[in-house]
Amino acid sequence: MSMVERSLKYLDERLGTASLARKTLRKVFPDHWSFLLGEIALFALVVLIFTGTFLTFFYTPSVQEVVYNGPYAPLQGTEVSAAYNSVLRLSFEVRAGLLMRQTHHWAALVFVASIVVHLCRIFFTGAFRRPREVNWLVGVGLLFLALGEGFTGYSLPDDLLSGIGLRIFYSVTLAIPVVGTWVTYLLFGGEFPAPDIISRLFVFHIMLIPALLLALVGVHLAILVLQKHTQFPGHGRTERNVVGKRLWPEQTFKSVSLLLFCTAVLALLGGLAQINPVWQYGPFVAYNVTSPAQPDWYIGFLDGALRLGPPWDLTLFGFTISEVFWPAVLFPGIAFGILTLWPWIERRFTRDRAEHHLLDRPRDTPVRTGIGTAGLTVFFIMFLEGGNDIFGVLLNVPVETVTRILQWSLLIAPIVTFLITYWICKGLSRTRLRPAQINAGVRLSRTPDGGYETVSLEPVEAEEELEPAER
Amino acid sequence: MTDSDQGSERVDVDRQSEHGPTERRMTGGQRRAERRAGAALAVAIVAGVGLFVVYFAGGQTQVEGVLFAIAFGGLGVALGIWANHLLDAREVVEERHELTSGPAGREAFENALTEEVGPVLGRRSLLLKLLAGAGGALGLALLLPVLSLGPAPGDTLKVTPWRRGSRVVDEEGDPVSLNQVPEDGFLTVFPEGHEGTADAQALLIHVRQGSLKLPPERMAGVPEGTHVAYSKICTHAGCPVGLYRAESQSLICPCHQSQFDVSDGAKPFFGPAARPLPQLPLGVGEDGVLVAQGDFSAPVGPAFWDMNRGR
Repeated sequence: MSMVERSLKYLDERLGTASLARKTLRKVFPDHWSFLLGEIALFALVVLIFTGTFLTFFYTPSVQEVVYNGPYAPLQGTEVSAAYNSVLRLSFEVRAGLLMRQTHHWAALVFVASIVVHLCRIFFTGAFRRPREVNWLVGVGLLFLALGEGFTGYSLPDDLLSGIGLRIFYSVTLAIPVVGTWVTYLLFGGEFPAPDIISRLFVFHIMLIPALLLALVGVHLAILVLQKHTQFPGHGRTERNVVGKRLWPEQTFKSVSLLLFCTAVLALLGGLAQINPVWQYGPFVAYNVTSPAQPDWYIGFLDGALRLGPPWDLTLFGFTISEVFWPAVLFPGIAFGILTLWPWIERRFTRDRAEHHLLDRPRDTPVRTGIGTAGLTVFFIMFLEGGNDIFGVLLNVPVETVTRILQWSLLIAPIVTFLITYWICKGLSRTRLRPAQINAGVRLSRTPDGGYETVSLEPVEAEEELEPAER
Repeated sequence: MTDSDQGSERVDVDRQSEHGPTERRMTGGQRRAERRAGAALAVAIVAGVGLFVVYFAGGQTQVEGVLFAIAFGGLGVALGIWANHLLDAREVVEERHELTSGPAGREAFENALTEEVGPVLGRRSLLLKLLAGAGGALGLALLLPVLSLGPAPGDTLKVTPWRRGSRVVDEEGDPVSLNQVPEDGFLTVFPEGHEGTADAQALLIHVRQGSLKLPPERMAGVPEGTHVAYSKICTHAGCPVGLYRAESQSLICPCHQSQFDVSDGAKPFFGPAARPLPQLPLGVGEDGVLVAQGDFSAPVGPAFWDMNRGR
């Protein structure tokens, strides 16, 4: 008996793993490129955990003043925080440190990006409908955690650019009506820049948020396995079955291959594409500022919202509502509220309470698709406004013009996008083309003796009935 | 045990007997795929060895990144080819099973929770109420340590270290005297002893004579009618207002492009800011050094709920 067989026997006799593992290996997953988007997010998370753990071994979460005396000449002799000092040391003195840091940052950008694209896939194909509403909530929760994880990590180097980002975040929490000052002081430990904030961000970034994130990823995947994957309609695919490749070996090979590719791309970016050169921004100083100042891409919409916002503050019974409240508290609250509750909002209008395992094509649900593209337009315009100063310089127009154009666009463009999307969807729908459902029919195949025979392309049936997961 | 031992041996034999014919049945396409996958793995091995060389030679970020990418990419290519050409990639159909346990299953669960275990809970409503009370009280008490996370805001957001008579100094702590800043120039200043303090930062601007349009009580805090000081913290989202356009006498916040008219009490005239930058009333001390006549004219920085109450 080989080593492997002995250990399998050992485990099976104690945990009964063999039949469970066999069932798992036999699980069928539908094959479609868009089903890999979520996997990319998962693999970016894997890279984040490995590179992040490495960074943790060198990072000092402290704002204690030290004098920089490392090899980066322009900052030698400057008073900097211990946090900033440790990031410089990691970047310039620790072998492979800069590669790890830059790969970590790139992986974070890709992580949030793939979550957003994955979310779009789920939204536009209606994959959130019954019975998957719960997993939609888990997914939206993961998006929020990813944003929080990104922002806290971005702020840790205690450089001038991230310090300004933190200052803006502080101003946003101050703008929360009634409890704003208390929430802000409890979160930051006092008036900005309170000395505890960096160490608190560190605890959030490496413990609290990752723990929640990993737990929710586990729930997300467990529900996916329990409910089985959705599939696009097509030959032989029904609401009652799953047609695809087995977990072992096809899907495993494909997924591991994708994991390796993602890691390769992130390592390439981390090695060649400089990102967040904190030594160029300088250490955080409360009365200094850099320009132009842009956050990481996923916070761009919020920064843009702040730039687009109307200068309307409000005093009611002597209490003040900040102009920051509308774009940075109310807007994200409403937008993400709608996103979170979308499965129930849609159901109110469609009255569709049936179970769905076959996906919609976006063209067949023009209203949902239109609302989705309109929503994306809102976020995209805000994202553009986040770079209004850069566009001003690039296009050689005053920044005021850029802002005015985008303010009007914010009111008009979502409606236009909705109408255009609706029109395109209706047009496509009228063509009655269903590429995925075209019957593959028969294929001609040449026989060894020179003749031809027809081969039927009926889907291959599973060679045996799988037992249900429960007894 | 011997049974299963023999069984596993049999599988081994089977596998070996299966192995031969499979290799012989390989098509030309599969042989090519195998060669390509092999080549990709060889490249990955070379890149892996290269990483050792680079690391021990002192490390080089770009080369390391490229070699890591080649090593991971080579493995990825090999497994991708393997998945697409060397595996028997049949489509398989799996039936979905019913997710729900049905009404009977749910009822059985409810019974298991309540009736089957006898009258554990039902007849002890007083005890249950007390239990809820105790849990609630303890739960709230456990939240108390959260209050230790920060001080009570109190008036801290409404006051700064500027006092009547505070000497105006620069970031190094050197006193700033009249006409030290050239006309159209500006300087970031602090109250003496609080250099670098975030909420005290102010901009001292030397404007042209007669260009200020301030009410008389505000002009009283502008020595010579030319040395005006405003809070440097943007009233929108708190960034330092770091840009000054002398020809239009306007301050610009680089974060969100709020613009303030220095000649008109630093009122915002473009961008998202709603309130003017608070003015710092200045005077001149005996030695010609600028001094403050008091704190700012309003709470500095972004708005908050009770900013206009009981300052």
